[in-house]
Amino acid sequence: MDQEPSSFETSEMLGRFLASTHLVPESWKVCARANVMGNGGFMCDEVDGVVYVGFSGVVMGDGLDLFCGKMVGLSDDGVFHGLVKNGDDDGDLVMVDAGLLRLFFSLLNTPVFQNQMFEIKKKQKPVVFTGHSIGGAIAALASLWLLSYLQSISSPPSVLCFTFGSPLIGNESLSRAIQQQRWSGNFCHIVSKHDIIPRLLFAPVAPIITHVHTLLKSCHLTMNSPFFIRDLGPQLTEHEKNELFQFVLHYLEVAIRSLEVGTRSLPFVPFGNFMFCSSDGAVCIEDTKAIVRMLCLMFASGSPSSCIDDHLEYESYVEKISLQYLKRDDEELYESNTYEAGVTLASQSVSSGHLRNGASRRNFKVYLNREKLGKFWDNVIDMLEKNQLPHDFHKRAKWVYASHSYQLLVEPLDIAEYYRSDAHRIKGHYLKDGREKRYKILDKWWRERDISGENDNNYNSGRRSKFASLTQDSCFWAKVEEARECVENVKNERDPLRLSVLWTSIEKFNQYSRGMIERKEVSTDVLAKNSSYMVLVEELRGLTNTWCF
Amino acid sequence: MGGTLGESCGISEDVIIKASSLAVNSQNNATGYKMELGPQETFFAFDGSWSVQDFYNHEPFGETKADIALFPSLKSIGNNEVAMINEGFFLKFQSILQTTFQAEVEKAINEGKPIIFTGHSSGGPVAILAAVWYLAKHTRSGGHAPCKCVTFGSPLVGNSIFTHALNRENWSRFFLHFVGKYDIVPRITLAPFSSIRNEFAHILDFFNPQSRNFQNPLIQTSQEASTLFKTVLMNASTVASHTACNLMGSTNSLLETISSFVQLSPYRPSGTFIFCTGNGKLISVKNSNAVLQILFYSSQPADEDDLRIAASRSLYMAMAYHNELKEILLGMQDVVYLEDETEIPLSSNSSALGDTASVNTALKDLGLSTRARLCLRAAQAFEKQKLQNQSTIELKKPSIMKMHNVIAEYQRACDDRKIGYYDAFKIQKGNEDFEANVKRLELAGIWDEIVEMLKRYELPDGFESNDDWIKLGTKFRKLVEPLDIANYYRHSKDEDTGTYLREGGRPKRYKYTQRWREHAQKLDEGGSSETTFWAKVEELKRKTYEKTKEQVIDLEKQVNEWVEKEEIGKDVFLEKSTFVEWWKTLPQKHRSESCLKVHLANYMQ
Repeated sequence: MDQEPSSFETSEMLGRFLASTHLVPESWKVCARANVMGNGGFMCDEVDGVVYVGFSGVVMGDGLDLFCGKMVGLSDDGVFHGLVKNGDDDGDLVMVDAGLLRLFFSLLNTPVFQNQMFEIKKKQKPVVFTGHSIGGAIAALASLWLLSYLQSISSPPSVLCFTFGSPLIGNESLSRAIQQQRWSGNFCHIVSKHDIIPRLLFAPVAPIITHVHTLLKSCHLTMNSPFFIRDLGPQLTEHEKNELFQFVLHYLEVAIRSLEVGTRSLPFVPFGNFMFCSSDGAVCIEDTKAIVRMLCLMFASGSPSSCIDDHLEYESYVEKISLQYLKRDDEELYESNTYEAGVTLASQSVSSGHLRNGASRRNFKVYLNREKLGKFWDNVIDMLEKNQLPHDFHKRAKWVYASHSYQLLVEPLDIAEYYRSDAHRIKGHYLKDGREKRYKILDKWWRERDISGENDNNYNSGRRSKFASLTQDSCFWAKVEEARECVENVKNERDPLRLSVLWTSIEKFNQYSRGMIERKEVSTDVLAKNSSYMVLVEELRGLTNTWCF
Repeated sequence: MGGTLGESCGISEDVIIKASSLAVNSQNNATGYKMELGPQETFFAFDGSWSVQDFYNHEPFGETKADIALFPSLKSIGNNEVAMINEGFFLKFQSILQTTFQAEVEKAINEGKPIIFTGHSSGGPVAILAAVWYLAKHTRSGGHAPCKCVTFGSPLVGNSIFTHALNRENWSRFFLHFVGKYDIVPRITLAPFSSIRNEFAHILDFFNPQSRNFQNPLIQTSQEASTLFKTVLMNASTVASHTACNLMGSTNSLLETISSFVQLSPYRPSGTFIFCTGNGKLISVKNSNAVLQILFYSSQPADEDDLRIAASRSLYMAMAYHNELKEILLGMQDVVYLEDETEIPLSSNSSALGDTASVNTALKDLGLSTRARLCLRAAQAFEKQKLQNQSTIELKKPSIMKMHNVIAEYQRACDDRKIGYYDAFKIQKGNEDFEANVKRLELAGIWDEIVEMLKRYELPDGFESNDDWIKLGTKFRKLVEPLDIANYYRHSKDEDTGTYLREGGRPKRYKYTQRWREHAQKLDEGGSSETTFWAKVEELKRKTYEKTKEQVIDLEKQVNEWVEKEEIGKDVFLEKSTFVEWWKTLPQKHRSESCLKVHLANYMQ
């Protein structure tokens, strides 16, 4: 129990490793050439003993109409037998997008493709399947097909799949089957910061299918043109772009929530690794929940037009990340702990800034690891309750402080998510009805800690001269949210008795929050312009003025 | 921390400077090296060579298995993996061995002066191989004083097993490698030959005193120089980040898949590296993984640098050792020692004081960013984890010894009953046999765990040369392996899967511990195979005498020797023993001529 769950965060280092190889730029080259070939094209190339097969992402004519988010179960006809045999009952049926599967099958059945695959199997060389946009989905299906086929062969060649801005292709059973086959490591989905296409199928696309098709058609015209000319063909209006963006964003948030609660399963679920790129670098993530969170988090920082532009920016992202090694980074960090520093590097790499409540780095960390840390503390508490830990464990300074700083770091984000997902409307306010048991127990440890030696250690030994790096009450934001509701209610309340109750609680919050600020027990993000707290204070000031006069 | 470089590494500054002058100037000697008698030392300086073939004997990285006859220590012991070394430089060394070299070395030994092997740039690898050869032949086997090896801007010569072996033999301390912050030569073989095919030969001319392009400034600023620099840097980045992911314990499955798609250089640093920052500072690093990270990160151009300037500097730095070192070593030395315990500040803005502040300044001078510092921490943590693993195992020593005693006691009790413990165990009649079997299984659990860690190189490099463990392993093998064999044949496992001694039949815990002893005592392979005696008997027993006559005679000879040296107990000669029972079935003629007849006189009839 002496060790942290892990003392290094490696998603960024893995991104660096991948970016320093030829694989990504070579894959992109083949993709771009395949795109120019147009409808249903693919092309092969061999570089340094690796065979690259790029699938065109350009789908013209009625081929595109097939792509409408409908799913179909994979049948056990031998093409994907590696995946299908695991589905016993209907609930486990492995399903993929019907349109994408049709596109793949129509390619698979052509003699020219079959000949190429025959040659490749004969060569016994490592193969990379790759594609941009819809081509990425075809590449993924082709990889699954080849991996299924190779199962029956001893010492098969290695298969790797790089997709660029590919839509999701299958359901949770597919994702699970791929994990069971240990194929996750064969897939790397490269997703640029705001690209809407990889996020599209979290939403039921039927209501906006004409928007989607207009968008794809125009993108495909650009991808197909040798000089990558933008804005060809009919375009979405600004209003339509905005509709599309908001629609997808909404369903991304729903997706996170349902992953969180685990009640409703998503129609489409990511699998394999995701490499998120920005012009500042790349991170590589394998955990499904973390992938969905990152997809949402980064998308939310985009805009209706950047989410479309980013689908066509892979060339420049690939170039930027693959030249990273040439430049010494001059960033300066203040973390003393290796894990935190790794998280910071990762969050800088994807510049996931511009988030509500500031503190992007912290957000990133928590998105990656809240789950892991939460489970860790749940285990600790569980073991303590079952007497598997020393009886005075929860009073040992090291653990008390570790648990407290965990709480200060993570609970505010739980609160933010709680209110962002409107859980308070269903369950009630966080403090009363939404708070995890572990936080209550950690609170108790903190209150009961042995403080006799603290003055020697300079803990709380005097007034703070600077604002705290973490707000010292982990429930601060929950209290802000409750006060905000009071303020809202005051506006509409006419009954004097209830009004006075509301004002009492507002006043109580006022005193509490001022005290926190005077003692500098809040972090600076509380006082940042436009923070929920500052907005509330403004509103309150307006409200008091109206009430006084 | 530290003191002067001379004090910390046991070579005086004068000797280092002298070596650098000899190394830089050693070229074009008919023998490939030059010997020079200093006032106190004998120097052997090896010529640099400027042919592509010497760096890359073949694609992609030109490595080959080390010749175990020349370098008996260049392997891991339990795993028995042979180190890979650069074949081109090895061939150069091999041809030097054919010259007056060996005789001159012996002469130098007789004169009793310490021997220094040295080389600059491509002369470095030959000096390193010469030193490894010397240490094996004259120090480990000949009992002579160890040599020293000092190189300047040397390319890497061996893989991670090479590094492991040098650490295990405790030889790393004899190797001192000076590397300029930007010098490209030590980094070159991190790139596969195919990636630099078009530029490399051209750039080598710049270093070659015989070429008319020697130190030609036009080459320094050429397009080829930029391209070479860029390619080498990119490959260094691949190797460094791949290693860093592993050091940091990444479990991402993509890491493994990608590794089979890219050509990763096998070469790793070994010995002590002294990085010269170019502004008068020296930074000494022993941790091989940390050195690898520094090799990449310190050569990254800063933001404002033009690639051409960086490339030009990377060539120039390769030629500047002698003058730079002379200035630093004779002046006020500024040396920082990065040990595994050294605290590494993650930010160069760290406000730490004292030693940490001077470490911080040193890292800043090397141009190490937060990311680089994280990698250094990972390299440190990796070594610390190995030590941690060892101390976990050390805690089990007392219970291992206790269980050994139980089995030794069992052996004695059987002796008292005039039955060998091998046979008693095979019969498994009483409770004490059962108890012994329980202990056998418990011990197997502990030793298998150790073997697993060794397989993954998760214990400190020195573990397999630790006397206590070698002794403990030998004792374990002598006491318990006969029981494993007894168990094997009691259950007739040979009929299911083949004999105990077949490939894969004998447990690794015995193979590993046998190799430990054989290596420590410089025995031949199989020189300590006495614990498989019973398995050999069981095998011969199942065959006819006519077909195995020679094997029988061999075994008898061995038994005679083993009993004499007390490697095996006399209980093998007890009346009811499997051995005696079998021996009695051998033809009368054979028995009367057997070398064992003194011991087995009772059973002649």
